[in-house]
Amino acid sequence: MSANCEIEFTLNGVRRRLTVPAQMSTLEMLRERLGLRGTKYACGEGECGACTILVDGATQNSCLMFAADCDGRDLVTVEGVAASGLGERLRDAFVANGAVQCGFCTPGLMVQASHLIEQHPGADEATIRRGIEGNLCRCTGYRKIIDAIHEAAKAKAHE
Amino acid sequence: MNPIESYRAPRSLDEAAEILRTGNVTVLAGGTDVMPQANAGRLRLQPVLMNVRRVAELGGIAEEAGVVRIGALTTMTELLASALVRERIGLLWQACDHFASDQIRNAATLGGNVCNASPAGDTLVPLLALEARALLASKPDGRLEMRRVPLEQFFTGPGRTARKASELLAAIEIPLPPEGFAGEFYKHGARPALDIATISIAAGARREAGVLRGVRVAFGAVAPTPMRARRTEAALEGRAPDAATLEAAAAAAEAEIHPISDVRASDWYRRELVRNMLKRAMSHVGKL
Amino acid sequence: MSETLIGKRIPKLDAPDKAIGKTRYIHDLEVPGALHAKILRSSEVHARILSIDTSAAKRLPGVHAVITAADVPWQRPIGVAKDHLPLKTDRVRSLRDEVAAVAADSEEIAQAALALIKVRYEPLPLLASTDDALAPGAPLLHEGRERNIAMTFDYAQGDVARGEAESDVVVEDVFRLHYVTHCCMGVSGVIAEFDPGGGLLLYSNTQVPFLHKREFAEMLGIDPARIRIIQPPIGGGFGSKLDIYPFEPIAIFLAKITGRPVKLLFTREEEFLASPTRQPVLLKLRSGCRRDGTLSFRTVETVHDNGAYTSWGATTPFVMMQTISSLYRVPHCKYHTSAVYTNNPYAGSFRGYGNLQATFAVEAHMDKLAEAVGMDGLAFRLKNAQDPGEITPQGMHFKTCGFKQCLTTAAERSGFLEKQAANRARWRDPGPVKRGIGMASMLHVGGGAKIYPSDGCGTILKIDDFAHVTLMTGASEIGQGSETVLAQLVCEELGLPLSAVSVVNNDTDITPWDVGVHASRTTFIAGNSAIGAARKAKSKILAAAAARTGVPADALALREGCIVDAGGKKLFELGKFLRGLHFSDRAELVMTSFYYEPPSKHQDKEFRGDVSAAYAWATQVCEVEVDTATGIVRLLKVTGAHDVGRVLNRLGIEGQIEGGIVMGMGYALTESLVVENGAVRNPNFRDYKLVTAPEIPEMDISFIETMDGEGPQGAKGVGEAPAICIAAALANAIYNATGTRLYALPFTPENVYRALHGAAQAPAWGKAA
Repeated sequence: MSANCEIEFTLNGVRRRLTVPAQMSTLEMLRERLGLRGTKYACGEGECGACTILVDGATQNSCLMFAADCDGRDLVTVEGVAASGLGERLRDAFVANGAVQCGFCTPGLMVQASHLIEQHPGADEATIRRGIEGNLCRCTGYRKIIDAIHEAAKAKAHE
Repeated sequence: MNPIESYRAPRSLDEAAEILRTGNVTVLAGGTDVMPQANAGRLRLQPVLMNVRRVAELGGIAEEAGVVRIGALTTMTELLASALVRERIGLLWQACDHFASDQIRNAATLGGNVCNASPAGDTLVPLLALEARALLASKPDGRLEMRRVPLEQFFTGPGRTARKASELLAAIEIPLPPEGFAGEFYKHGARPALDIATISIAAGARREAGVLRGVRVAFGAVAPTPMRARRTEAALEGRAPDAATLEAAAAAAEAEIHPISDVRASDWYRRELVRNMLKRAMSHVGKL
Repeated sequence: MSETLIGKRIPKLDAPDKAIGKTRYIHDLEVPGALHAKILRSSEVHARILSIDTSAAKRLPGVHAVITAADVPWQRPIGVAKDHLPLKTDRVRSLRDEVAAVAADSEEIAQAALALIKVRYEPLPLLASTDDALAPGAPLLHEGRERNIAMTFDYAQGDVARGEAESDVVVEDVFRLHYVTHCCMGVSGVIAEFDPGGGLLLYSNTQVPFLHKREFAEMLGIDPARIRIIQPPIGGGFGSKLDIYPFEPIAIFLAKITGRPVKLLFTREEEFLASPTRQPVLLKLRSGCRRDGTLSFRTVETVHDNGAYTSWGATTPFVMMQTISSLYRVPHCKYHTSAVYTNNPYAGSFRGYGNLQATFAVEAHMDKLAEAVGMDGLAFRLKNAQDPGEITPQGMHFKTCGFKQCLTTAAERSGFLEKQAANRARWRDPGPVKRGIGMASMLHVGGGAKIYPSDGCGTILKIDDFAHVTLMTGASEIGQGSETVLAQLVCEELGLPLSAVSVVNNDTDITPWDVGVHASRTTFIAGNSAIGAARKAKSKILAAAAARTGVPADALALREGCIVDAGGKKLFELGKFLRGLHFSDRAELVMTSFYYEPPSKHQDKEFRGDVSAAYAWATQVCEVEVDTATGIVRLLKVTGAHDVGRVLNRLGIEGQIEGGIVMGMGYALTESLVVENGAVRNPNFRDYKLVTAPEIPEMDISFIETMDGEGPQGAKGVGEAPAICIAAALANAIYNATGTRLYALPFTPENVYRALHGAAQAPAWGKAA
């Protein structure tokens, strides 16, 4: 029998208390237990970035993180990012720049981009490319994603 | 993933060492290796999963008396942000820059990378060249004890280390390289990061009166463990980095590596890369 | 005067929801009461199944059903050659083969149950390659055939012997193309549910819902009308969802047997192991030209590794032969393909559909022949490129043709000739890093492809009393932006803003018939269909307005949400006018339907015919840096010129082309599904390398607008085009950089290094089928 863990954490600004099996991933907890389906499963091995979330202000692949490890931490998913000012700006930039095709990788990229811009307001092209190297996209060829993030980063820098 | 019977999250080194003493423990830090390896069945979890992330003593980067102590929980992102690491042990900084992706660098710890002991582990090769030591904590007789193991003796096979099951890697200690030491890290691949090294090289030396002194070379992904390349160093020591010396060093390197063929590359290609890239790295070092 | 939407940068209608994670893909759907299914796949590559014991699995709490072939004796074979039973009976032919399946309360329980199923196998000889499969005495993978050959194709035009006799230069080479796979970011999945009357509801990612309705009906022995397919937004298609794969019938079987909805999702590893591939091809090309540079003939033989079963991959020769016969003017041509059964993963359709492989060989020979007759690559290509109005010997009628403009535009914008000469002059320079530039072109269908008797698409269009349009189209959105471009075309006709249109495109009970999303056809075919429906609506509205005002309908127009007269004067606000129809005998408001069938022809038995209503061309120039000490090839820049007919949505078409270029780059430089003795060695993104953001090249894309007479607003299809000739252009660029010509893909660092240092195994012609 697998152990259960009592955890308490902040999720998109709301305190949560939960009991999770010790081997559950944060991705599974978010999707299956908490119904937040914007965070996507696409590889389960930290190779694609579709499940990117913010943990204590830095991005992580939620598929690599034990749910038990969320205890005491501050989590923000794409749903939380989307509700922020920067998230709205990013959404608009992604839409206007054609950065979305099938859209499956997009939520992970939105979260990663928000972190990138927080870390590097006014990030240049090279920084943006490196910043999203852990996010795979099969449709767009990345050009328009880079452009969208660049636009949002420039706007953020001028704030 | 096999079942976890108990999940522990100690808050002190003492507590962690105590849990380890009881045995049957898998140590969890960043999770970036434990989770996927356990899911894929490559790692059989012990009944106790111990998350050490809350152990404060395992963090921090500090220099004291010419030795840099890096807490085992230090993430790649923290290493990249450290001026001390960048300026004084740049070889390690370069390797962190080639490490996986931002998401993984934010979670993955130096201690985890070291204990995972992959022959291709990105930070292990520069750590070997930097003559780093592993600081291991345990409570053999109910009292917290520390022992130091040079990394050159720490890696005993793919995924295997000299760490005993009752020991916890507390920190990595790196003696500051001598004044004038210049190093170059090379990781083979078309991508800047997010890649398992086909081969990697950490090389460094001082340049004195036109010749190389205190040469240190280490290789990754060309043997069952990351390796310090002593014979290669000997071929370079005290010589000017000219074509003949580099050729001799390449020959020495080829003689001491034992690459295998796998899905990423053939042994032949790994040998060619070590030859060519060692020469390139050393000629850079010679110019630095 | 209202502004046209055509050619503008129109954001995708579905983008905002996708960006914030609100879009519900199949993985995100919850059907109350659904069970979760998992498939047990073979542990042997080729073996007889001696016994399957499911008793322990059935006893596991939470397990509702464990099925094997014995539980579904009525199952029917699937696939293009109907050679593939979803659940295997007495034999497995590849490692992906489905042996048993479980439906349980959760995925974890289903997974645990799989581990309890005991299967005994008796290994059979392994056919790991086409050579193994064609060897005399090789065991037959499918009964009832004389050899392990799934399909053959032969095509000929003119007389190649005469063509060769008239040639001053003849070259012959063997090319080897490798395995790749689609890697859609959303893994495969399906949800199946029966109603009490036996009707089937499928939530499916299929690219061809209407064809699959019929196929599922045949398989289940039920009336196709009782099958409803709902397509949630698809997390990537690229051709991978054109066929029925065993997991879909298996989910249906489990739903039927348990009487519960059943959801089945792949893991990423399963996606690598059990979804279709672009197959390896061995291709022998012999071609010639006269001293003046006129092409004289091409003879092609190929052997396709079909894998263990036949899906669309076996039919890629339909497209390959078009390139062989008609990419440049070739009077004499002969083509033969055999798709050979092996124990490897089987081949499906993948963006470009055989064209990447054919173009790779043809464009290498264009460079070699040019060099042999002392012409530059551009002049040689221009000499042989077709002009508008030509009909190729295979019957393709190039009504519009921007081929030569593509060539000259890409060459001029990239500085091709100057750079090519300069790079070549530096072959012997010291230094390990070399620069190269290479060119290649492609021809592809751009106005649908009549591979079925009909290539049509229906539209139903409804305008409500607030002048809001609901466009119901048979065409599927797979991320390419069809929803947006169709809305745009309708708005253009009806003088409405984009916000006035909703598109319904995902439910076979609502939407009219369409052949499916493939062959770069949706903008062209569904676009024409949508325009047809919109024009009917417009004429209904204007007729009603004419009756009301006495102004003749042809003097009225729709603009900016209003009905206007010839002088542009606003007579009625459209919504208000439509509301007025409540009080007339036209209370239905406006509802129209339209079915568009393109003026193309189904090919005859000799594969001749004008199979598409329009054809698309592109020329791409690649600039590379080759590190001869490592074999690493960096793609620095792609200059592309595409004959797209007309740009409809500039943002959308750029996205298609950029994405295609990078996918073509992955095919050439980074991606390789490593299959050894029937086993996929790299079923993960760690070792199957998709291109990442830091690696992408600079892209300079030009649109050649030839204004196709049949196209919607003059447009042609473009979805597959950009991926097709990157590998060919890269090979030519590497040659220009180093003087070494590579005949085998992929150009991974080790392969390139080996070729540069004489340590590569040149592709050799194996056992001809």
